[in-house]
Amino acid sequence: MSAPLAETLTQLRVGNQKFLIDFYQRSRHLFSRWAQRQHRLAPAQAHGLLQDTLLDFYDQVADGRITKMPDDLRAFIYGMAQQRLAAQVPAHVPLPAAEAGRRQRLLAQFNQLGADCQQVLTYFYFRGYHFEKMGGKMGFPNATVARLQKSACLRKLYELLK
Amino acid sequence: MSPQTPPRPDLRPYFDELERFADGQMTPAEQEAFELRLEQEEDLADAHAAYEQLTADLRWAAGHDTLRLRLQALDERMNERGTALARVEQLNQRRQRRWTVLGTLGALLLLAVGAAAWYFTRPSPARPARSWEAYYQPDPGPVVTPALLHARPLLSEALDQYQSGHYPAALHSLGRVSPTSVGNDTLLYLRGLILLRQGQGNAAQLYLRRVSDENATSELTRRARYHLGMAYWQAKELAPALTELRAVAADSLNPYRASARRAVAAGVLEGK
Repeated sequence: MSAPLAETLTQLRVGNQKFLIDFYQRSRHLFSRWAQRQHRLAPAQAHGLLQDTLLDFYDQVADGRITKMPDDLRAFIYGMAQQRLAAQVPAHVPLPAAEAGRRQRLLAQFNQLGADCQQVLTYFYFRGYHFEKMGGKMGFPNATVARLQKSACLRKLYELLK
Repeated sequence: MSPQTPPRPDLRPYFDELERFADGQMTPAEQEAFELRLEQEEDLADAHAAYEQLTADLRWAAGHDTLRLRLQALDERMNERGTALARVEQLNQRRQRRWTVLGTLGALLLLAVGAAAWYFTRPSPARPARSWEAYYQPDPGPVVTPALLHARPLLSEALDQYQSGHYPAALHSLGRVSPTSVGNDTLLYLRGLILLRQGQGNAAQLYLRRVSDENATSELTRRARYHLGMAYWQAKELAPALTELRAVAADSLNPYRASARRAVAAGVLEGK
């Protein structure tokens, strides 16, 4: 964690997820031991729980439910995991949230799209690539093809939502 | 699924324009005109807001999915690494165990070889030498002096060959010596000695026995008894060998008494 904590949240909001990836890498083993001791979870289940909890954390940062970096991040994440277990949320399902319905629907439909469409939309809307760079990444002949492709995918997603 | 969500404006009629506007694909003039319409047309403004919400949600969904996939990939990598490390650890342990076993076996083998080498090479008082040669005290015969050489040249030649180890030649030379000039006993004795040294214990016995039988008290007889005993021994006839050597050991005048005593005391002859 080289960046100051406040900056980390901003980074996370604009799509830099390295901080969470690092956290997972660093804490997986300890978390798994904790989960086994406290909740008798098998290692694989514990790993899944930590992944889901970090996704929850990301969602809450992204939609503004978390605006300030917790002082003790480790305790905060462990607390979230405990809540998840207490509420008996099944694995790989995000926590219910106020806005969740609309977004979850969109996420479900997004996952229905083909792999290429998901990639194109991720490059454009999440990574913020311009059409030229996206074309290069996807192997399209030029930026216009990339633009048309992205447009077609966005429409397809919208039609699925309707 | 959508009862809770408020009715949303249909974006389809405006999709092209909204997308071009949002993606910065309009010319400045088009953009200005579109912004003006946004202020005036309520439907378009609603559609724009809905479009913005859609793309914001999409940004979130794409980020969420990316994080999910990245965490999954990392998890798999960490699992693989854990498995690989465990395998390496297991291999190391197995190799270490194998080396320990091999080392122990090697050490045991070395110890066994060392023990065997010590056992077979030790000068053991508990296991006296079994060979007759270990106890035999040879008789070199009389010294060849110039006087002897002059008086009995053939005998001197035979003695010389015997003393230098040429036994067949010595026997041959001895055959040419006349018994009248030397004495029958001496010839028999020497022949027996040479045959004994040549390893023909059986043949040696014949001559030595004749010497020892003839005159029981002479010096030559005493010597012959000792060599006869040794000849028996060499021919593996241990009982007569023991009898002869015991007699020699008991005879205080016999020059070979000490040697015979040693052979009897070793107890090798009583073994069988």
